[in-house]
Amino acid sequence: MLELYAITKIYGNGVVALRDVNLKVDKGEFVFIVGPSGAGKTTVTRLILAEEKPTKGQIIVNNKVVNNLKPREIPFLRRQIGTVFQDFRLMPNWTVEENVSFAMKVVEAPTRAIRRRVPEVLALVGLSSKAKHLPHQLSGGEQQRVALARAIVNQPYILLADEPTGNLDPDTAWGIMDILQDINAQGTTVLMVTHAKNIVDAMRKRVVALEAGRIVRDEYRGSYGDEN
Amino acid sequence: MKIRTWAYFHGQAFASMRRNSWMTIASIGTVAVTMVVFGAFLLLANNITHMAGNIESKVEISVYLQDEITSEEIDRLAQEFTSLEQIALVKYVSKEEALLRMRDWFGESSDFLAGLEMDNPLRNGFDLRTHRPEQVLEVVPILQTFDGVADVQYGQGIVEQLFAVTGMLRVIALGLMLGLAAAATFIIANTIRITVFARRREISIMKYVGATDWFIRWPFIIEGMTLGLIGSLVASGLVIWFYQAAVRSLAVSLPVLPLVKPWPFLLGVTGWLVLLGTAIGVVGSTISLRRFLRV
Ligand SMILES: Nc1ncnc2c1ncn2[C@@H]1O[C@H](COP(=O)(O)OP(=O)(O)OP(=O)(O)O)[C@@H](O)[C@H]1O
Ligand SMILES: [Mg+2]
Repeated sequence: MLELYAITKIYGNGVVALRDVNLKVDKGEFVFIVGPSGAGKTTVTRLILAEEKPTKGQIIVNNKVVNNLKPREIPFLRRQIGTVFQDFRLMPNWTVEENVSFAMKVVEAPTRAIRRRVPEVLALVGLSSKAKHLPHQLSGGEQQRVALARAIVNQPYILLADEPTGNLDPDTAWGIMDILQDINAQGTTVLMVTHAKNIVDAMRKRVVALEAGRIVRDEYRGSYGDEN
Repeated sequence: MKIRTWAYFHGQAFASMRRNSWMTIASIGTVAVTMVVFGAFLLLANNITHMAGNIESKVEISVYLQDEITSEEIDRLAQEFTSLEQIALVKYVSKEEALLRMRDWFGESSDFLAGLEMDNPLRNGFDLRTHRPEQVLEVVPILQTFDGVADVQYGQGIVEQLFAVTGMLRVIALGLMLGLAAAATFIIANTIRITVFARRREISIMKYVGATDWFIRWPFIIEGMTLGLIGSLVASGLVIWFYQAAVRSLAVSLPVLPLVKPWPFLLGVTGWLVLLGTAIGVVGSTISLRRFLRV
């Protein structure tokens, strides 16, 4: 499903962000990636999205080697991966509905399919009543749910979430986690980078801990670990 | 790409034009000004060529005959001229006809020709035309050797000068045009660059969702193309209006100056404007996308 083999990433400025990282995630897993700031967590997500190429090693997503994709192949990789970020990344001038349907327009889905599917995912994230709102008319938690809806509307194989609850209060954060669990329960692999100790500890999922670019721990039914 | 995707691209392009209405107006204005200048150049060049052609077709050798010549001698000269290989056309012009022509030229109202019928100072002669303009110089010395020929005149020098002047005019106008086209392309490129820059965050979001480069580019290209198209349509309107007015007023004040008839001439001219304006729009936006949208 998702495999990282002996990945080393050295940025242009000489910073070694990842050293010899090996990670295998099966279909349908829920994985937390934790670790102190600068450990290389975001770098992992950027390599998976082919935003950056690994300096050494190989990345395989859904049986396809992605580390040497040609630029014009990258969009097709990203269509298999839903992404959610700490800063939501919504189109500010587009309504909730437009933001979500955009992901379907990109893949040139039939108009009829868009009309059927968009309300469906908006219902799933509990935003049916806000379909015509603009992002700035929503709370942070609601904006993150729009981003989630957009990430899953095309039913991706993997959902990558980089600190999706980073800007949200605890209650709202749990709302997002409930949705992520729902999505995971429907078969989507979820990879979530987080600093939220309480969430990781409460959910008892697989935890991969990074430190200074190395995997220092990889436990099933794990916890956040020591205070960082 | 599917039709609904193209519809979506157009929607995006027009939304962007509406959002940046000032830039949109400035770009359209620049293209319009460029295309008006280009249109003026096309009008001028075509009319000069037209006039030159008119004059060239009138490059005639005028052979003036001695007054005391008999009509048998005239007939004989006509035959001899016709038999010269360089000569394409031989036309006898009596001095009465010459006077009529002159009156035509100066117009009915001019009365300084009045009374000339009594004592016509003009001479009988021939209008000759060669197959090619450069044969004029060859044939003139031969014509001068015929008995009964008083004088031979031809206007080739004038034609050469005219062509020299129009040639220079063309070079200057073309240079001016190239400069203006570059300026218009630059302005469009700049407009698109600013939109791309303002929307770089949106573009990066599109990339996360899996939009291809072309999916991101097309709305910008359509925007540039539309700016070019509207600008050149405005210019076409102005050119059509101006030329029709010019033809109308010159027909009254300067009837000897024959302008090219407006239609279908203007159709060709504006066709070029629209083609070039649209091309400028496409090239301008493409330059910006290549340089500023590293997707
Ligand atoms: N584009 C880049 N160019 C150079 N160095 C980078 C770049 N991105 C990240 N780094 C460096 O790589 C290291 C890992 O960064 P990364 O963003 O992966 O950390 P992180 O684990 O996500 O941290 P945080 O928890 O603060 O988000 C850091 O030392 C960072 O300074
Ligand atoms: Mg990070």
